[in-house]
Amino acid sequence: MAKIKVDHTKCTGCRSCELICSLHHIDNTFNPKRARIKVYIDGEHHYPVIAGPYTDAECTAKNTVIIAGHEYDECELCRASCPAKPVFKEPGEEIPLKCDFCGDPPDPQCIKVCVTEALTLIEDTEDKEDKEDKEDKEDKEG
Amino acid sequence: MDGWVGRIIRVDLSRGDFAIEDLDPYQAMDYIGARGLGTKILYDEIDPKVDPLSPENKLIFMNGPLTGTGAPGGNRLVAVTKSPLTGTVTCPNTGGHLGPELKFAGYDGIIFEGKAPNPVYLWINNDEIEIRPAEHLWGKTTNETEDIIRAEIGDKWQAMDTHIACIGPAGERLVRIGAIMTDRNRVLGRGGAGAVMGSKNLKAVVVRGTGAVTVYDGQAFKETALAVLEKVPPGGGPVGELGLLAIGEMGALFSILATRNFQASVFEGWGNINMMALKTQFLVRNRGCFACCVPCARVYRVDNVEGFECAGEGAEFETHALLGAACGVDNLPAVLKAGYICNNLGMDTISMGGTLACAMELYERGYLPEKDVGYKLNFGNAQALVELVEKTGLRQDFGDVLAEGGYRMAEKYGHPEISMTVKKQEIPTWHPQAVQGTGLEYATSNRGGDHMKAFVLSEELLSGGSPETALKTEGKAAMAIHGQHRNAVIDSAGLCTVILAIAQSWDFESLTSLLETATGAGYTQESVELAGERIWNVERLFNLAAGITGKDDTLPKRILEEPQLSGAWEGHVNRLGEMLPEFYRLRGWDEEGVPTQEKLQELGLA
Repeated sequence: MAKIKVDHTKCTGCRSCELICSLHHIDNTFNPKRARIKVYIDGEHHYPVIAGPYTDAECTAKNTVIIAGHEYDECELCRASCPAKPVFKEPGEEIPLKCDFCGDPPDPQCIKVCVTEALTLIEDTEDKEDKEDKEDKEDKEG
Repeated sequence: MDGWVGRIIRVDLSRGDFAIEDLDPYQAMDYIGARGLGTKILYDEIDPKVDPLSPENKLIFMNGPLTGTGAPGGNRLVAVTKSPLTGTVTCPNTGGHLGPELKFAGYDGIIFEGKAPNPVYLWINNDEIEIRPAEHLWGKTTNETEDIIRAEIGDKWQAMDTHIACIGPAGERLVRIGAIMTDRNRVLGRGGAGAVMGSKNLKAVVVRGTGAVTVYDGQAFKETALAVLEKVPPGGGPVGELGLLAIGEMGALFSILATRNFQASVFEGWGNINMMALKTQFLVRNRGCFACCVPCARVYRVDNVEGFECAGEGAEFETHALLGAACGVDNLPAVLKAGYICNNLGMDTISMGGTLACAMELYERGYLPEKDVGYKLNFGNAQALVELVEKTGLRQDFGDVLAEGGYRMAEKYGHPEISMTVKKQEIPTWHPQAVQGTGLEYATSNRGGDHMKAFVLSEELLSGGSPETALKTEGKAAMAIHGQHRNAVIDSAGLCTVILAIAQSWDFESLTSLLETATGAGYTQESVELAGERIWNVERLFNLAAGITGKDDTLPKRILEEPQLSGAWEGHVNRLGEMLPEFYRLRGWDEEGVPTQEKLQELGLA
């Protein structure tokens, strides 16, 4: 199964991913607020987050996490849209937005415009190994 | 409308109210947007003779039809106004995220008129527009202003998605090289637009929008944009990797960086302030503006050099060239700190560096007494550089003289020829005794000394050219005119010129394709080229009416008469006289640089 690898150290904060996402899902339209990916830009840090599922309740515990010496509000890193933040929802409405991997088979548009390769499409190698192991096993058994 | 949003806000600061107006679709098509449309509106609405710092001047923020789209580099907002530095029309543009946000809020631009009785800022949140008091922001630096406004918004998520343009103390104090800062570190830099904003008692513009920019044919638009992206090297090439200082490295390689106020073009200390010095000592990360594929901004932090602590974004090449090489300063923390102060107080780094370089030469030649300036102002004095930048922004002590710009300062001390300016605006670093066509570009720029309005340098030297082609004058008039029209279109469409310099991507073909697929207005390559020429001529008409004429299309005496350079460039001066008459003729202007009636008719300006 393919995955999107997010390397936030390579992200430049240009938000091209938000734009292509918007254009791909809504005809002829650029609107970052309707994109299923959002780049948080905070001081010296950029952090692309891809929309996950909607949760109908916000977390009870609020967490601060420290990564590489920088303090993040965990809500910023969280992929869910939830009642606590106005992100990954249609503007003015409560309809949640969720990444669809741009279809089946996966063809995410965001990676196509990410020139610094902060977003790349990779094969899930662990998954692949598991599968190969299983196949080997089956071969032997067969 | 597609591309354009179709609405502009007109703010009457004197009366404290505003109105929403529809964009004239025919005018929008003829002048494209941003720089072109803003200039047309200014030309139609003000007397070009007005005092730039009076309420009669207007300040126009304008986006292009490609601003806020996913076109590579589609992030430009232009400020058009009459410049208090040059007396010409000026059109600084900024990247970052402010321009796109204004379109998402539902507006192509804002026209500011009059003067608020007390300091105010403009709040825009989609349809909610409010002129709010800003007494508590007056006197604050640009970074403080951002912090206070974001804290006032309260909601963290909203504050995060809000973008701000503001002036610092320099704009408030009418410093003639005052700039407007956006997103803290992006700049509406050249020509003193910050002083115009200050003269109107307008401290900031705060924008938040949740709407859309639509395009006419999304699929075709996407294909064109991806085709442009393909021409850009992965990661933006050397400029993406190392910032605009990578272009400076080319300048150093060819020995054309203005050094010690243009008295040389080889700076022996360049290696101490160049891209590798920055990368190995103070770089935090690379950053790009909205929708950009060439992340040229450098986020830097200096926290271990006493007196020069600073953190921000920039380290732009011209900043290092003018505040560094032109002032003979090779102390990197000092250059970064000087650039930081310019951003924090709101000033143009090119003019600041050029003005200080001029002051240093005046001092060394004995024209500027030490008692006036308060420093032994020899070239290379890093401490004085940093302190005088601060004083200029605050108009303290000698800073009050520097705040008038290099030309007025040099004139005050009886030697205007020492100021390296065109139309009273400091010229960029590329030494025009070496790059002849760039000299023509400086001399004929409608907003005074400037390298971004044709970027002849690329064609005559950096990509495909050679020192031999740089020194030729043949063909340079045509080269400059072509570049001027192309860049007028780029600036008016809302695109960034840097990508042009990287990939030569913005030819008229791709520009037309992006404009047409975005707007569906019926653009052809021919009509786009003509729009570029029309925009250039409207600027010229404004300047002529303001009293800036062909006599002002010239270069500093030193550049024209006294050979300064060594090596391949030895013995050369700029031969402007060989290029300018041809330039006028090819433009369809008379010998004095006035557009002929036939030309104006052809452009629909008669």
